[in-house]
Amino acid sequence: MAALALAACGGGATSTTGAAGPTGGSTGGSTGATGGNAVANAGVTGIANPSDHKGGTLTFASSSTPDSLDGGNEYYAWTLNFNRLYQTPLLTYKSSPGGAGTTMVPGIATALGQVSPDGLTWTYHIKKGLKYEDGSAVTAGDVKYAVERTYDRGVLANGPSYFPQLLADPTYKGPYKDPNGDLTSIVVPDPYTIQFHLLAPFPDFDYVVGAFGQTAPVPKAKDTGAKYELHPMSTGPYMFQSYQVNKQAVLVKNPNWTQNEDTEARQNVDKVILTLNVNADDIDNRLISGDLDVDSAGSGVQAAARAKVLGNPSLLKNSDNGFGNREWFIYLDSKVAPLTNVACRQAIEYAANKTDLQTAYGGPVAGGDIASTLLLPGMGGYSAFDLYNAKSQPGGDVANAKKALTTCGKANGFTTGLAYRSDRPKEVAGAQALQQALKAVGINVQLHGYPAGNYYGNFAGAPTFMHKNNIGIAFGGWAPDWPDGYGMLWALTSGNSIVPTGNANIGELNDPAVNKLFKDVASPKLTLDQRSAMYGQVDKLSMQQAVILPEVYAKVLIYRPPTVTNAYIDNAWGMYNYAVLGKSS
Amino acid sequence: MITFIIRRLITAIFLLLVVSVITFAIFFLIPRLAGQNANELAAQYVGRNPTPAAIQQMVERLGLDQPLPVQYWHFLKGLVAGENYSAGPSVTYCPPPCFGYSFRSQLAVWPQMVSALPVTVSLALGAAILWLLGGVSIGVLSALRRGSIFDRFSMGVALAGVSLPIFFTGLISLELFSYKWPLFPNVEYVNIAVNPLLWARNLVLPWVTLAFLYAALYARLTRAGMLETMNEDYIRTARAKGLRERSVVVKHGLRAALTPILTIFGMDLGLLLGGAILTESTFSLPGLGQFTVLAIQNQDFPEIMGVVMLAAFFIVIANMLVDILYAAIDPRVRIS
Repeated sequence: MAALALAACGGGATSTTGAAGPTGGSTGGSTGATGGNAVANAGVTGIANPSDHKGGTLTFASSSTPDSLDGGNEYYAWTLNFNRLYQTPLLTYKSSPGGAGTTMVPGIATALGQVSPDGLTWTYHIKKGLKYEDGSAVTAGDVKYAVERTYDRGVLANGPSYFPQLLADPTYKGPYKDPNGDLTSIVVPDPYTIQFHLLAPFPDFDYVVGAFGQTAPVPKAKDTGAKYELHPMSTGPYMFQSYQVNKQAVLVKNPNWTQNEDTEARQNVDKVILTLNVNADDIDNRLISGDLDVDSAGSGVQAAARAKVLGNPSLLKNSDNGFGNREWFIYLDSKVAPLTNVACRQAIEYAANKTDLQTAYGGPVAGGDIASTLLLPGMGGYSAFDLYNAKSQPGGDVANAKKALTTCGKANGFTTGLAYRSDRPKEVAGAQALQQALKAVGINVQLHGYPAGNYYGNFAGAPTFMHKNNIGIAFGGWAPDWPDGYGMLWALTSGNSIVPTGNANIGELNDPAVNKLFKDVASPKLTLDQRSAMYGQVDKLSMQQAVILPEVYAKVLIYRPPTVTNAYIDNAWGMYNYAVLGKSS
Repeated sequence: MITFIIRRLITAIFLLLVVSVITFAIFFLIPRLAGQNANELAAQYVGRNPTPAAIQQMVERLGLDQPLPVQYWHFLKGLVAGENYSAGPSVTYCPPPCFGYSFRSQLAVWPQMVSALPVTVSLALGAAILWLLGGVSIGVLSALRRGSIFDRFSMGVALAGVSLPIFFTGLISLELFSYKWPLFPNVEYVNIAVNPLLWARNLVLPWVTLAFLYAALYARLTRAGMLETMNEDYIRTARAKGLRERSVVVKHGLRAALTPILTIFGMDLGLLLGGAILTESTFSLPGLGQFTVLAIQNQDFPEIMGVVMLAAFFIVIANMLVDILYAAIDPRVRIS
């Protein structure tokens, strides 16, 4: 048992949930490159090693296990990205560098959704002639079944919950518990048409069907529930040859896939191998030695390899330092005294040393750019406001912090708890940095470390736990489910998103103005620009309420061997687009 | 002998039961005592931003709404009699020993452990052969050449082996022999049935790393034992009777010095078969050790119960075998 306990220390698996990233292209600028005549970021500014070469084996490795390889049961960004190799949803992200890569385009559907004037019905048409790996035909009924099976959260627990929340029969139990039941809010009038009937207008519904794998068709006769991930029926360029859980998945070409039907994926290599649970440092060393092609997590090299890459021009030229599709930040719980007073929260915003926090996360290269907003740069509605001088005084604005403390009646400071994930070294360092910075203005912070695995379930994400233990500050982060204001902001700032466990609105913001904006933005009469402007308002209002202290717009330093082709950091995933990679030899 | 074995097996079963109760209490009871309710326990298995309805489905799925004794009863019943389980369109039967289904993946735990076991067995047995041969040989030679340069050097190396943590020696060996001078590139487990040569080649570094630590211990133990034994009167008698030195050392000296080594070997091998956690993590070997780490990281209680029970089983069996071998090696010991 001691060995078990010892082994449980460290590791710090980083979960990369969420799907989308900044809409803007992460161009040039922040290479962070050092040394010589290195040319880094070829995969940030464009496509690195473009090639039509066919053949070879593409090898992936992951330092952990995937949440699932079943498209209907995934939420990690890398597994959703990898899923495109063998499953194709109704819609998918356009395979393109830059901002275009965050737009939805047809997958197995012929076009984006046709929405009724009242915004309640979304219709998609399936391409005719599509086949699974075994040659059987893909129909709209398979798409309906794929969505139905995700309703049984006891079996398929990991994916998002948008369909039960948006569709008109949320009490449907799924085909496993209710084999004779029917999800009546999805109608299949003919084998190639599918209609979704919503409870209320939801303009982002195209993202719901395309950003995840839940609409990748599943033939009912082949569904094996939890075991389906061992061999999902392929509609993508590759299909499963084998999958040993916790060990390795091997994919080979799908003979019944054609390029004409799927413009966003490629069949460049003969075989794809994904090896699981490989030591993270070993992954980096194998990438550098050329024995491995891709670190599937896409979260960048570890500290040891980072030093090697940054210090070696020949390695640096094969690296990319792009935005990682997420923001790291610190929650300030508005329901834990004295943070119930907005001025006390603002004092923390001012006092925090943003440079030290950035350093804790790996500095400007591996950590990211100092952040001052919730929306990510490039997202619709983003504007570079900076209410608390995070960029003009990154070392902390002590004067304004003290003024804010006086305003909230705590001129001599106060004491509160701080929660962080103890098995994440960056958060450990960040917590210590914040503790020091706040001490300078009289705010005493008691550190509470919790395991990452149930941090949101049992600790920071459980409001009663936070209240009971007087924890007013909690570390966190967010990768948006899709690249717009809703995907980034709703879960963090909407009053309707607060839940007793698994809560992401840890600041417990329940602001009427913010809530009204979220309600109004759903109107089908609004244009994209109008909606973006409203999300911009949500961002500003939330920051004025100071429920979140932004730390960094995360960046990743990814190394790719020179034999990997068509590599670019996809803004949808914040990592390479796995659907188009190839090998030069 | 038969009576002895039967008695030990009954004791083993009782011991495993106690282990199961303690492990269950640690991972199922203590969180409740700490104030966690079923919803909070279930929420960690439901993915990001779960709805209350999704959490409730998971509570029912995992049986977390049932009283703890009932949950424990289901676990025991599965071990002994198997259990029906539904993780999709059909109900499947999980034959005994059924350790239940992963809270994370809903896949059966026992097949995953069975799949991981050959990796751990390969690692443990290969390293065991190396450390036994190496450690005992060096210990014997050091004892016979007490005070010599060889003795001092080998005990110095043994001290290093005992002091250096496995993850350190493992990472150094990878850095040197896998990346810098790629004599053993891509250390990945290959099934022996698929390619025996690659299986062996890819295990050389893990074997040597693991064996280095244990060989050091065994060398020191053997040396100490031999030094004590070689001073016994019967050794002098054996030499006086004209027996060859080799026979004196091996048949008389080493044999007597082996009994404590055998005891420790049984414990060590039993522990390793339950999962060489650090070595498997360092070399990314998908054995029981890595399975254990993942189970703990994921708070996957059925998997944790499974590996603990399996590790306990190996330790109990290994100790029983050691006791039997004891009598075979040392005639002074009788099984009674």
